[in-house]
Amino acid sequence: MFADELKTLRRLGVRHVLLQILNFVSVLASGLMIWKGLGLITNTESPIVVVLSGSMEPAFYRGDLLFLTNPSDARYQTGDITVYKIPGADIPIVHRVLETHDYPPNNKGAVAASPLVQRQLLLTKGDNNAIDDIELYQGLEWLERKHIVGKVRGFLPYVGYVTIAMNDFPQLKYALLGGLGLLALIQRE
Amino acid sequence: MAPRSRKAAASTSPPRTHSDGTPPEVPPKDETSAVADVDALLAPLPGEQREEVKVNNASVTDMKHACDDALKRFLSRPDLFKQIHTHTDVRLALGWLSVLVAGATGLYGWKVPFEQSKPAVWAGVIAYIVLTIAQTLYSYFIEGDIVFVGKRKTFDKRIVTERITITSRTTPSSPSTPPGYALGLTFVRSAAGGKTLLGKGRASEERPFTAFFDERGVLDQEAFERWVGAVVGQVMDGKAQ
Repeated sequence: MFADELKTLRRLGVRHVLLQILNFVSVLASGLMIWKGLGLITNTESPIVVVLSGSMEPAFYRGDLLFLTNPSDARYQTGDITVYKIPGADIPIVHRVLETHDYPPNNKGAVAASPLVQRQLLLTKGDNNAIDDIELYQGLEWLERKHIVGKVRGFLPYVGYVTIAMNDFPQLKYALLGGLGLLALIQRE
Repeated sequence: MAPRSRKAAASTSPPRTHSDGTPPEVPPKDETSAVADVDALLAPLPGEQREEVKVNNASVTDMKHACDDALKRFLSRPDLFKQIHTHTDVRLALGWLSVLVAGATGLYGWKVPFEQSKPAVWAGVIAYIVLTIAQTLYSYFIEGDIVFVGKRKTFDKRIVTERITITSRTTPSSPSTPPGYALGLTFVRSAAGGKTLLGKGRASEERPFTAFFDERGVLDQEAFERWVGAVVGQVMDGKAQ
């Protein structure tokens, strides 16, 4: 099936094969760098996430794509939709902030006058849940800023199903990657 | 030889009188001897066993790549030019370096927690952007359309170095003309390690793709090599246009 292509590759030499592999690998590298760059600009480790559960209906449904930012100088307000990760749990959760309390830093008796303190204690609850998230916190009483991945700024419906499909059927992921690799090796720019 | 009756009528340059398989005559022992030898070398070897080159003749890029490859194969023969791979090597080096930087940054960002990793990931992303810009600038300004750079050293009374640079472009088709393949050649002949300039030449010629590809998309390598040999011979003789 690939006899023609293999013959061509053998005829064209090592440099050509290296160039073709480079074509493929550099597409992956640029995708990775765009992701990392986006994460740095938005100050969050995961600037785009997919909703997995229905706990935020009717605002977000399973399969929605969410765009996050994590401004380090802004205060999280009640009503913000945040994505947080509890240490020990590997899946981030997207729920709304129910309560926030400012916890002034211990500045030798002085209290910071600005409301933009870094120490915030947060309590969240999913819109579609009956109770707040205390049981999800695995022993913590409040969420702190360091647990928050980001705040939701925008969303795209349904697009996340591609990621869900690739996670549930890893063969799909490998097939896609394999197909891309083959295409890149055979085509010339 | 397979019948070439279905090929479109082609206009090729007149064949050289002492090529087409006859052994080269004993050249006169003077400056032009090297040139006469080369003319013989520039003729395609008749009856040479070649693999058939078949491409999609609706794709101009495919045809251009096939012609470029045939050109490189033809001119890289042992007695002709030795290909200089500098442009390819620079492109490979910059490309693979940027991929490695991206990979290292990704790995580091995965292992180390986010807040801690930020400075290093910034450095990695900026390094990647710089390398990508360098690649783009190199290939646009310095490499350009160049497809072949070759060097040749002959020993006459002194060491003569010849260097040829070949660019190729495609010309778009119009309702009345087929797409064409335009070759541009630059040639320098020097001695004494490049300090004495013996000759310089520049040429450019264009042929429609229909001159070399038939209906099935098979490249007529002999006709192509004859044309390339003629143009290279022209520029090497100093009969530049």
